[in-house]
Amino acid sequence: MDRNQITKWLKAPAKMANKYSLHAIYFCTGCGIIEVPPVITSRWDAERFGVIPVATPRQANLFLITGYVSVKTLRAIIRTYEQMLEPKYAIGFGSCPINGGMYWDSYNTIKHLDKYIPIDGWIAGCMPRPEAIIIAVTHLWTLIDKDMANGYVKYRENYEYYRKNQEKVLGELDWPPLYSTE
Amino acid sequence: MVTKVMKIILSPVLALIVGVFFLGLARKIMARIHWRYGPPLIQPIIDMIRLFYQKSVSHGCIFDLGIILSLAGSIVVVLILPFGQICPLAGSGGLLVILYIMLLAPLGMALSGGQGANPNISIGISRKLILALGYEVPLLLVLLSVMTHYKTISIVEMVNIQQSTGWSIISWPLFLSGLSYFLILPAILGLRPFDMTSAPQEISSGPMVEYGGKYLALAAIEHAFVLFISIALFVNLFLGGGANLITFFIKMLVVFVLGLCINAVFPRFRIEQAIKYLWKWPTLLAFVGLIITIAIRS
Repeated sequence: MDRNQITKWLKAPAKMANKYSLHAIYFCTGCGIIEVPPVITSRWDAERFGVIPVATPRQANLFLITGYVSVKTLRAIIRTYEQMLEPKYAIGFGSCPINGGMYWDSYNTIKHLDKYIPIDGWIAGCMPRPEAIIIAVTHLWTLIDKDMANGYVKYRENYEYYRKNQEKVLGELDWPPLYSTE
Repeated sequence: MVTKVMKIILSPVLALIVGVFFLGLARKIMARIHWRYGPPLIQPIIDMIRLFYQKSVSHGCIFDLGIILSLAGSIVVVLILPFGQICPLAGSGGLLVILYIMLLAPLGMALSGGQGANPNISIGISRKLILALGYEVPLLLVLLSVMTHYKTISIVEMVNIQQSTGWSIISWPLFLSGLSYFLILPAILGLRPFDMTSAPQEISSGPMVEYGGKYLALAAIEHAFVLFISIALFVNLFLGGGANLITFFIKMLVVFVLGLCINAVFPRFRIEQAIKYLWKWPTLLAFVGLIITIAIRS
């Protein structure tokens, strides 16, 4: 830790702690999850950067959506995202969450994930290499530094829009709205 | 008077610093055994700062109070337990009182988790209580033989006797008891062969599953205290305490690193395997140790 960082820590401890303690939720959403074990184990060792997998959404503040998102998974993704505590960051991994990827004409996957939950950053590719997760984490640091990783604020402000999109795909949602929508 | 108040305030702080240092060291050493570089040593502190700044979700009154109860229980044990030559409340009780108050920590967690109403919590708590049933039997036998040998229940006196006559783990009748305590130490600490209580892959980290934000930070602090207390008790009873703080902490460090090496290479027991192990070897050793101690002493 250099001297420059100590002044940053004193100035904004919450921001710095959010940067260096990204706990990713251990939730297998699609094919891309196979790239995550090498990242968190000996080969690429993401724990150097404070990134460790945790088992529950309550403890996590980083959500990796890896690979295609089927309609059934979307329900679990939304519930998981809403259970995470603020501030929280979501990253779309692979080309399928961005625009449907190779499932662009499938009847059972959704095409644009950011219509349903706010995404702070994308990792493009099919499949991205494991190093891409580490690069994404460093990019996320920059975004947190500039207060641009504010997906959870957007979610709160535009909750009506997101809820409407979710109901369009999933039908009637069987959980109450996270924020009041009047 | 003033020094006593200062000691009462400072000794939990010191215990907390040592416990948190151990948490960080554990992650670093585990990483090096896995041939990884590992997180910085202050990573638990960074995590705690993050968790204290995060929003948190409560599940009711008992959910809040339970975790405070377990934290309070741990702090009281730290006050009664001598480390180095510091023991603020030395006259307030010995091993028997510590045995009773040590139960508050898992009990508070169980109460707090009970209101979380998550099935994973119930499974985790039931595993924790079964495991406690497993290690309490050899632990009580070990403590009984120690108390019989020294003919006192005061830990301070035991430490003083050991300072003059040598460590009890290398004295003949207590060797078996010390070995037995070391064998159940991973179960008390929740380290790897016995971490079925908070297994992240099976039951989503068990009792911790609903904790987030400040609650998780308090749970981490509580874990640091439990780590400190269990190892300090071992050092006090069997490794002769410490003439000063430095030797005491060095002894604790050695015991902890030995426990970590076991933690790094073992897979996880199922709960009935753990009970089978705990009620076989450590209990047998402790029982034989107790009989020999009684035979020599009477």
